[in-house]
Amino acid sequence: MDLLFQVIVNGLLLGGLYALMALGLALVWGVLNIVNLAHGALIMLGGYAAYYLFTLLGIDPFLALPLVMMMLFVLGYILQRYVLSLIARSPMFNTLLITFGLDVIFMVLAQLLFTADFRTINPSYAGTHVTWFNLTFPTVQLFSFAVAMCLTVGLWLMMLHTRIGRAIRATAQNLSAARLYGVNPKQIYALTFGIGAALAGAAGDLYGVVSQITPYIGATLTAKCFAIAIIGGLENPLGVIVGGVLLALIESLTALYVGPTFVDVASFGVLVLVLIIRPQGLLGKTA
Amino acid sequence: MKKTLIALASLLVMGQAIAQDVVTLGASVQETGALANTGRYYRDGYNFAVAKINAKGGVKVAGKSYQLALKILDNQSDSNLSVRQYVQLLNQDKVNFLLGPFASNFALADSSVAEKFQVPMIQGGGASDQIFNRGYKYIFGTLPVASRYFESTVAMMKTLNPQPKTVAILYADDAFDVSVAEGTRQWVKQAGMKVIQDERYSTNASDFSTLISKLRSTNPDAVLVAGHETEVLNFIRQAKSLNFNPKMYSFTVGVPTEDFRHALGKDANYAFGMTSWVPSPQNKDEYFGDAKVFASAYKAKFGYDPDYHAASAVADVEAFAKAIELANSIDPKKVRDAITQLNFKSLYGNVAFNKEGQISLPQTVIQVQHDAVVDIYGQSLINKPIYPMPSWDKR
Repeated sequence: MDLLFQVIVNGLLLGGLYALMALGLALVWGVLNIVNLAHGALIMLGGYAAYYLFTLLGIDPFLALPLVMMMLFVLGYILQRYVLSLIARSPMFNTLLITFGLDVIFMVLAQLLFTADFRTINPSYAGTHVTWFNLTFPTVQLFSFAVAMCLTVGLWLMMLHTRIGRAIRATAQNLSAARLYGVNPKQIYALTFGIGAALAGAAGDLYGVVSQITPYIGATLTAKCFAIAIIGGLENPLGVIVGGVLLALIESLTALYVGPTFVDVASFGVLVLVLIIRPQGLLGKTA
Repeated sequence: MKKTLIALASLLVMGQAIAQDVVTLGASVQETGALANTGRYYRDGYNFAVAKINAKGGVKVAGKSYQLALKILDNQSDSNLSVRQYVQLLNQDKVNFLLGPFASNFALADSSVAEKFQVPMIQGGGASDQIFNRGYKYIFGTLPVASRYFESTVAMMKTLNPQPKTVAILYADDAFDVSVAEGTRQWVKQAGMKVIQDERYSTNASDFSTLISKLRSTNPDAVLVAGHETEVLNFIRQAKSLNFNPKMYSFTVGVPTEDFRHALGKDANYAFGMTSWVPSPQNKDEYFGDAKVFASAYKAKFGYDPDYHAASAVADVEAFAKAIELANSIDPKKVRDAITQLNFKSLYGNVAFNKEGQISLPQTVIQVQHDAVVDIYGQSLINKPIYPMPSWDKR
């Protein structure tokens, strides 16, 4: 019985990180209608930023979070303002092509700049754990989970209660009406993409502490984020938490009861099921 | 008009004459993509060996000297692209012979191209038994047989005190690791130990928390992992964070590399691994002197330490040089027959291919002790292993 509970704990903690990874993708998708295939690459860049802040300047990866997010925010803002705005409101296919291109460029640049070596962010407390009720909670995963929850809830509150949040939601719901109320969509799009990139950066920072960074982690992470965003729905950030935690739990329990090779079968099987039964996502209201 | 034609014709003749003095080796290697980290050993190893052999006068066929040339394509860590590139190397680039890519699943697919075109391929990157048990005649390998990777490790385990009794085998679901696991089950059984857990996981898995929780509940003495470096790193980090303390663990790949110790820091300590190559001056080599000289020259040239992948790549090029001279021809069939006759000492070890096309090399068991790789067990005990390894909270 302990084993089952331990596996559920593992799944929950992993789910928090998954949610944070997918949050930026879902936000950009929902507001800009861009499926950002370079999202995983942004996570990777966030990881490298945190890695170099830690190894060169000795900045703790958790303290570095705001810094990494700021760097990625600037990158995201510039990308949207000067690259992606070129294809604003063009067919989905064009946005897929351009973000795929960005993904390849980031990957190759990362290999040239950072080499293909495996990088891990290894602060002294990485790998420590606490024991509650006979269950092991890895410290870093626990912190990551808390950070992921705070950022997700923070984003949710921002969307509900701030001017920028309302402007973003207005732009997503009805562009003409938002314009009439004085919203500058170009500005809002760039801000949204910047926030999405900042969240990816935060996820990359934590991913580097929990796992490891190479220039090639992007593609798999994008696929995972994509699945989580679809399962959770694009309506609100809480849906992404549900999607992330659900996916992680399914993966963990599949590994325990069916076998570790079937993890992807199960998670993408659930994705297909959700698409058939609830195409708007589990917490989504409309299609 | 007539003059230009003559000039053109003579140019063509000259061109052919030059072309005839070169023997081109072709390979498709992972220069970018997920396997670039290991692929570089092959690219650099091939280049280094070709340059060295050319500097020593190239290869002699029927009294004439040939220079070696190298044509390397980047397969971007995509095995389908790799197959197409080998076809391209033979069809368009007209290379004379083939060197291999890294990794068994690549070599498994690419060797079919060599077989189909009847051009020999000597590859030092694929060890799976599946590559060699199809009765192919044009594929040769310089890595030890996959199923025997853990043979020396299990032999060492028998010398430990107290001897490990229960073993868990974890392996990735690709050609190489499945072959390793099949062999390991036999070695463990023959040694009188018990496999209490036998788990296959997806290649490139990054989350091992469930597997490790499961291992913690069965608590095996020894954990033997056949996987890839990225999985090994994740496994060790997560074993630490979930406080999983077996008496020993050993990994097919990763442990000998510098990258492994950099990525893990202190946590790399006590991990067992294996290598088919030790850069010792006892491994004499016609072109490089010996393995130790080679290792320092390699480090000076490329800026990182070579491991057995690089040494194996060099052995592949040397095997072609020797076989071409032995055949006294660059005809693919004659060279193929000469390869089967080879028996020479190299910096990598003794190169002689068996009936299936593989060489026999013992794996030396190694362990990371005090942040350095220490040789533990070859045919017998070399250095004292640290066993059982201290639990995570006592380090």
